[in-house]
Amino acid sequence: MDAIQGFAVLTYNVTKEYGKQQVLKKINLKIRRGEFYALMGPNGSGKTTLASILASVKSASSGRIEIFGKKPEDAKKVTGYVPQENFSSPLLTGKENLMYFAGLLGYSKTKANDIVEGLLKKVELWKDADKRVSNYSGGMRKRLEVATILFPGLKLLILDEPTTGLDPSARRKFLGLIQELRNEDTAILLITHIGADADLASRVGLIDKGVIIAEDEPEQLKGNSGLQNVVNIETSIKSDKVATLLSKFSEKMKVMETEMGYRVFTEDVEKATPKIVRALDEIGCKATRIETERPSLEDVFFKLTDRPVSEVD
Amino acid sequence: MGQIVATWKKTIKEFLRQKTVLFWTIGWPIIWVLIGSFSFTGDAPADIVAYTRGAISISMMVFGLMTAGMANIPGNIAQDRERGLLTKVMSMPVSPWRDYAGRILALLAFSVFSAMLVIAVGFVCGAKFFFTWTDFAASLVFILLIFVASAGIGMLIGTFVKHVHGAIMSGVGLTVVSAALSGVMTPYAYLPSVLQDFARIYPISSANSAITFLMVGEEYAGYNPLTLSQIFFTAFLALLLFVIGLIAYSRFCWKKD
Repeated sequence: MDAIQGFAVLTYNVTKEYGKQQVLKKINLKIRRGEFYALMGPNGSGKTTLASILASVKSASSGRIEIFGKKPEDAKKVTGYVPQENFSSPLLTGKENLMYFAGLLGYSKTKANDIVEGLLKKVELWKDADKRVSNYSGGMRKRLEVATILFPGLKLLILDEPTTGLDPSARRKFLGLIQELRNEDTAILLITHIGADADLASRVGLIDKGVIIAEDEPEQLKGNSGLQNVVNIETSIKSDKVATLLSKFSEKMKVMETEMGYRVFTEDVEKATPKIVRALDEIGCKATRIETERPSLEDVFFKLTDRPVSEVD
Repeated sequence: MGQIVATWKKTIKEFLRQKTVLFWTIGWPIIWVLIGSFSFTGDAPADIVAYTRGAISISMMVFGLMTAGMANIPGNIAQDRERGLLTKVMSMPVSPWRDYAGRILALLAFSVFSAMLVIAVGFVCGAKFFFTWTDFAASLVFILLIFVASAGIGMLIGTFVKHVHGAIMSGVGLTVVSAALSGVMTPYAYLPSVLQDFARIYPISSANSAITFLMVGEEYAGYNPLTLSQIFFTAFLALLLFVIGLIAYSRFCWKKD
């Protein structure tokens, strides 16, 4: 019983089907109180569906779910959910948006005013509180929406892809805010397809095709993957020929295509890098930038599934 | 009560801050009051002109009420759904009935505001009404029935037409077509007999005729809509549309997949 009380989320064999399509397959998830858990996977992997089920917006086809020991629909008072979409009303000011949510949560006007002021200060929007949300930047709008789950009493915070579409600076600021939300009593579930975001979590689950394929602390996941070094190359051209050439240097696994080039998984980076540059040169492809990196969670996902977590155009 | 008030405040602010909503619900009817008052009255005697302007003002007020219910409410629901607000609210301890009540009360306040403005412009243009206070009170009941029927239809559109533009255009289209076919925007006497039958059945045009009958007279309404059977049928259909809209909204908009 003590063990169960220590968990914010427990799911037992949760499945979700849309007609014949099985979106979630026997998901068993455990998130402890105070834990920051990231669920990382590509589009269509079922992560948003799982978040929606935990937030009581969708129902599971089978299986059992407990949020602090209750069914999701009975745990709405302690669950805060930020969906993927920008749900705040652009016609209202930031303050009016939060006052609306305060009203929905049953706060009196005076109490709501105090709480909303505190929340706006916390998400650094107090100066812009009376501006219409239509005048907010993407980052400001997302911070406002996160403020809707900071009302007192919420113990499970579910954030679905909160950094998607944010520029790097806004993303960093936003992640800083999420880090500040961590405390002993509040569990955070972050849904993402970005490895750097998931890296902030205390535990990460990798989900693919409705199955959690790996779950551990971020560093453990990377360590267990057997990957040591990655050469990240930006190339002047991308083609099958270039990929085939680079695959000769990727001993650990096949080459991963990125937006600007390729990631090559090799142990001896020092030796391999000049050889890669020369080989590329010989086929008329310039390496415009080369960096040696530690493996990322995206690399781990790629190793486990043979597919990148984010599709490359 | 907190949830109803919160939804009421949010919805009314959104109505008042959206230019397209203001134009179609208030601006458009006012434009037609102005056009109708000064273009279609010709050289008729002053009294007839004044009562005609009164009848036009009533029709345009009804048109505004129809637009508010049939286009603004579905637009508002579809917007909330499309931007994920309904998903967010569904994840909170909020009752769909309270959400519905908040939206409907906001629509009621906005509709009253638009109706008063349209009638005020009619007065300024020289509209005249002929009524007793009992007639006036009865007219308010018929206005309420128009509101209720329009809101019911609007909730149905908002529930089943998923996209914002689709929902708004469906609402505006239904408003314009049904207003034209049922005698809200065309004199009842000029309608072919099949549409005259429709005008008596359609609760909104029936209530419109009842208000015109009470406030301006039978010659402007085109017939006497205040028979017991028609009053009963109008009230019944208006309330039925409202209840169907309410059930559809709470069942389907708030349905967990």
